[in-house]
Amino acid sequence: MIEDILVVIGMIMIGVGAVADLIAAIGMNRFKNFYLRLHAATIGTIWGAFVPLIGASLVATGCYCLGSYRWFVTGGGIITAFLVLILAPAGSHALARATHRSGLVKVEPCVVDHLNEEMCVKEG
Amino acid sequence: MKHVLGLIIILLFIIGFSLVLTVAGNYILPSQEIRSLAKYYLYLAYNPWHRNFTVMSPEAVTSIVWDFRGLDTVFETAVFYLAIIGSIALGRGIVKYSKPSGKLGLSLIVKTVTRISAVMIIAVAASIALHGHLTPGGGFQGGATAAVAPLLILIIFSHYYLLEKGVTKDLMLFLRSLGLTGIGIVAIIVYLMALPQGIHAYVLQNQPKPDSSIGLPAYIDGQLISGTLWFFNISEFFAVMAGFTIVFLLITIPERAFKKEEEVERQ
Repeated sequence: MIEDILVVIGMIMIGVGAVADLIAAIGMNRFKNFYLRLHAATIGTIWGAFVPLIGASLVATGCYCLGSYRWFVTGGGIITAFLVLILAPAGSHALARATHRSGLVKVEPCVVDHLNEEMCVKEG
Repeated sequence: MKHVLGLIIILLFIIGFSLVLTVAGNYILPSQEIRSLAKYYLYLAYNPWHRNFTVMSPEAVTSIVWDFRGLDTVFETAVFYLAIIGSIALGRGIVKYSKPSGKLGLSLIVKTVTRISAVMIIAVAASIALHGHLTPGGGFQGGATAAVAPLLILIIFSHYYLLEKGVTKDLMLFLRSLGLTGIGIVAIIVYLMALPQGIHAYVLQNQPKPDSSIGLPAYIDGQLISGTLWFFNISEFFAVMAGFTIVFLLITIPERAFKKEEEVERQ
């Protein structure tokens, strides 16, 4: 019983990951400036990589057909998920910070930019 | 025009892959026969019943790299050694450069994440190197992985942070020489062991051979170390890790700092 629940929850998480990756891909193409596209890319790494990895670990835990090897899959999945969880935000943060501080990419269209008013290009 | 070209390339790629997966798969198949040389290697990599020919390592690649063709690997290490010596020679004369004032490195978030991940990188690298005779991996792979940690610290914390922590070019040069000396000693250790007993042995010998009954123990306290392979992997790990770190240290010396020193010297 418990293994079926684990497998179903894991499958749902993998499905959520697939949908999130699709949304992130659409965002990458449709968003208007660099910072927004970076946001879409991070959706792809957290919802589209971290969540399915945890889901895969749950599926492996519930799958008795794998024998004792399922713990290897579970452990590998959870460690990889943890690494993605801490490294992906750090990477996108470093990118966004460096880009904004060097002034390479203007924020356009912009409502308000408290960090640097000169970077803010208002629409119209 | 550009779009059409991209579309054609993608379509060709898909059609090519489909062809390989469907039609071509029936005609082009890898041979099911293992070549006789490969059979010999696989049969003798770990074979306690043929103690005079085996390497006693279940990892066939490491047995080939450090035993069956050990001399080749020693030469490869020597080539790597020469490359590092060359890069040190290029960076000669850079003795002292002062630390610039102000905050160095990236933001606190990135630094914290690096603190966590650098430790994990070193741990994974050590496991790759120490398990090189049991699982895929080995000294070079482990050393190259370990060198990523100083590279990350160099980029994220700054060059001077690593120097202040004591990871200097001289220390790395010492570690690398230690690793190379280790490889040299392990290569002739069986010969040195055989010398007092009056038996003849070979350079890079690991387990006993038909005409030489001496060899390093394959097990220590019940743990498989595969004779020389474990020591080779550890020495290579230090040599490669330190070698790459030296190169990273040299290529991240800021040109500004170097130029200032040169100008001071000219005056």
